[in-house]
Amino acid sequence: MVEPVSWTSFLIVFACCAATMLLCRVVPLFALKGRNLPEGVERALGFIPPAAFAALVANDLLTPGMFDAGLWPGAAPLVAAVAVALVGFKSKSLLWSALTGVVVYGLLMLI
Amino acid sequence: MLGYVAIGIPCGILSDSIGLSWLQAFLLSVLFYSGAGQFMFANMWLAGSPIASIVASISLVNTRQMLYSAAFAPACRGVGKGLSFLFAATVTDESYGVNVQRFSEGGWSVAKATLVNVFSMSSWAVSNAVGALVGSAIGIPLAIASFAMTSIFVCLLVTQRAMVENIVAAGVAVLGVFLCKCAGLTGPAILVGAVAGVVAAMVASWARR
Repeated sequence: MVEPVSWTSFLIVFACCAATMLLCRVVPLFALKGRNLPEGVERALGFIPPAAFAALVANDLLTPGMFDAGLWPGAAPLVAAVAVALVGFKSKSLLWSALTGVVVYGLLMLI
Repeated sequence: MLGYVAIGIPCGILSDSIGLSWLQAFLLSVLFYSGAGQFMFANMWLAGSPIASIVASISLVNTRQMLYSAAFAPACRGVGKGLSFLFAATVTDESYGVNVQRFSEGGWSVAKATLVNVFSMSSWAVSNAVGALVGSAIGIPLAIASFAMTSIFVCLLVTQRAMVENIVAAGVAVLGVFLCKCAGLTGPAILVGAVAGVVAAMVASWARR
């Protein structure tokens, strides 16, 4: 049994992470706001969404050694992700994608 | 918004399993407002990681939000300090995806975007608190529940415009994340991958001229 998180540890993690997070969220916007950005920088900012979402997906789906326990446990989330990609592309709906993901992944885990 | 409920409740259940009260889960959701960070807190605590490394990992994972914040700077031109601050402080992955799309379609304002952020944050925080309250009463396996969040990222990815540069950005980002993880750099993997993707896309767009 894992020891429950105490209020002291909670507050330490809470305060430190809240501070770094607020800095990360607020500083870049204020630093760049109200300036005429060079065209190249504007273009780079436009590439952030595809790069960031691809990185988040890869972070969830890919791990070194994911096929160590056999092909299927590693491939199941990938198969579910393909199903989600099809539904997301057709419906453009976050809710449908989330439901599809949970249901398909759940079913694949039963196999 | 319902997407937040679908991920918020499992995240709350996970918070309950490491002994956080509903109040702690609620506070964490309001200020962190980061599914990835909160899942990570619980997973690392269960793995017995020291507090310092938990703080460092969560902070590193959240550095990706610097990119979101930077991306919204042009839209916030001429907007008041107070509103810009509230908007910036409530940016997160999912609401970023929604807002960036609305801004590019036009006819969208920072005030409306902030409203989206605040609504998403409230539904996230409330569903976390509910999840922590009902806790272990519901037995959803957490690997399956957390796949809801992965699915939302997949949807946001496939609804991007299919330009060559965007595909390069996505491909290099995936590769970057995987290489980082192979090198044992799990914390900064998302930021490093995303930055590599943006750089590669810039090179591609320059080469195509």
